[in-house]
Amino acid sequence: MRRTRIWALVAMALSAAVALTAASAAQPIEAGEAPGVLVSRQLMESRALGIGDLVRLSADPTGGRSRTFRILGAYEPTPDPMRFAQPALEARLHLPDLLALSGNPSDPSASDTVSSINVALVNPADADAFARDVSTRLPGTVARPTSAPDDRAGTFLVIERFHLAIASVTMLGSAVFLLALMMMLVDERSDVVGTLRLIGFTRRRILMQVLAEGTCIAAVGTAFGIGFALIMQGAFNRFFQWRYDTALVFLRITPGVVAQSILLALPLGIAASAIASWTLLRRHPLALVRR
Amino acid sequence: MTQPPIVEARHVSRVFPMAAAPVTALSDVSIRIEAGEYVAVVGPSGCGKSTLLHILGCVDVPTSGDVLVQDRNVGSLSDAERSRLRLREIGFVFQRFFLLPMLTAWENVELPQAEAGVARLDRRRRTAELLEYVGLASRAAHRPSELSGGEMQRVAIARALANRPRLLLADEPTGELDQRTGGHIITLLDRLHEDGTAVVVVTHDVAVAACAHRLLTMRDGQIVEGSS
Repeated sequence: MRRTRIWALVAMALSAAVALTAASAAQPIEAGEAPGVLVSRQLMESRALGIGDLVRLSADPTGGRSRTFRILGAYEPTPDPMRFAQPALEARLHLPDLLALSGNPSDPSASDTVSSINVALVNPADADAFARDVSTRLPGTVARPTSAPDDRAGTFLVIERFHLAIASVTMLGSAVFLLALMMMLVDERSDVVGTLRLIGFTRRRILMQVLAEGTCIAAVGTAFGIGFALIMQGAFNRFFQWRYDTALVFLRITPGVVAQSILLALPLGIAASAIASWTLLRRHPLALVRR
Repeated sequence: MTQPPIVEARHVSRVFPMAAAPVTALSDVSIRIEAGEYVAVVGPSGCGKSTLLHILGCVDVPTSGDVLVQDRNVGSLSDAERSRLRLREIGFVFQRFFLLPMLTAWENVELPQAEAGVARLDRRRRTAELLEYVGLASRAAHRPSELSGGEMQRVAIARALANRPRLLLADEPTGELDQRTGGHIITLLDRLHEDGTAVVVVTHDVAVAACAHRLLTMRDGQIVEGSS
C-alpha cells in the first residue's frame, strides 16, 4: 500500500477547533515537541493564525482534553456543495493524533475507533485497488473512492433533472418567442419578398436565401448566448465564492452544455426562419406587395 | 415564316373566390401581342385591366382558357418555371415602382441579371447602359428613398429591361407621377417600343394611351373596343 502521508479530517471538531483556538490566546501553551497540524485557510484567517503558531485542539466543544499542536501549514478545503454555506473552519491531523484527540480514554478500544477517514493516495488511479484491498484486509470496513457515487449524488441528480426541466420549458418558450419574432421580421419584409417574386425569383431561391440568413442569425445568436453564459459563469462564481468564502464552483459551462446549446439553438433558429418565410412565400406575390 | 406572338391569351377567364360571392375579373378574353407592338389597355377601375396584365405577365394564372408565351402554354408550367419566364422574357413596371429599398439604383437594376446568371462583367456593362438609357447614370449610387418618383419609375423601367425582355408590361406607370414627370416616362416607353420591345400598358392616362399603336378598351372583364 503506497501511502506517504495520511491526514485525517476532523469533521466533527469544527466548532471545537474554533473554541480551542480561541482558548489558546487566553492560556499559555507549553512549547516542546508539539505534533504538526494543517489548518484551513479560512480558520487561519478568522483566528489570525500563522505558520509555526501553537494551538490547542479538542474534540470536545467545551475544550476538555485538549492537546497542543504546531501549525505546519494552511490548506484550501475541498469544496463540499452540501456544506458551502458553513464556514470551513477545519484542521487536518495525523491519524494517530486524531485518534488520541477524539478517543474516549475510558474506552480501551477508543483509540482504535474512528467513524471515517479520508486517505490521499499518491496515485489517485489506485483508488479502486486500494478500496478493494482495505475491504479485504478489514472486513466490515466500507472503503470507496471519493469519485464514486454516494448517497449525496442522488440530491444532485434531482437538482440536475430539475434544471433540465426548467431548461426545457425555457427552450420551448424561447422557441415560440423566436418563431413569433421571425414571423414579425419576415412579415415586415413582405414587400421585398413580393417584389422579388414579381421580378422572377423562385420560392425556393428566396427560401434558401432566408434560410442562409436564418442560419447566420442563429449562429451569431448562439455564439452570443454562449459568450454571455461564459461571462455570467465567471461573475456568478466569483460572487458566490466571495459570498461563502469557498473555492466551490457553482456554475460550470461544460463543453457538453455548449454542444447541447448549439444543437438546440441552431436548428430552432433555422426552423423558425423556414416556417416564418414559408408562410409568406405561400401567399401570392401580388398579395404581398399590395398590403 | 410567320413569327409567333410574344404572348397570346385564348378565351381567358379569371374568377376570384370571395367569401360573399365569386368575383369575375375577366370573362372570355382573347388577345395577341405581336413582337414590337405598343398596346394600351384602358377602361374604368375594376374592369379587369390589371388582372389581364398579370395573366399576360405570368404573375397570375387564368381560371379557364390558355395563355401562351412564345408558344409555351403557361398553364402547363410550374410556379418555378413561370418565375423563370418572368425573369428572362417579361419586364414588369408597376405604379408603385416596387424597388428594393435597401439596394441602390445600380443594384436594383443588376439584381435580375445576377439572378438570371449573367456574368459579372456583362452585368456591369448592361447596368451602366440601362441607367444611361433612362438618364440616371449620375444617380446610380442612390437608394430609392433618395430618388424622386419619376427617377424611381425610371429605375424600375431599367430593372424591367435588365434581362432584355421582348415584352414590357406596365401597370399605370404614370399613376403616381405629376404630368411633367409622367411625360418623361411616356417618352421613355415610346423609345423602348421604337427599339423593338413590345409594350403593353394599362393606364387611365390619355397621354399614355395616345402613344400606343393599338388601344383596347375594357369593361366588366371583357374587351369591348379595339381589336384583340
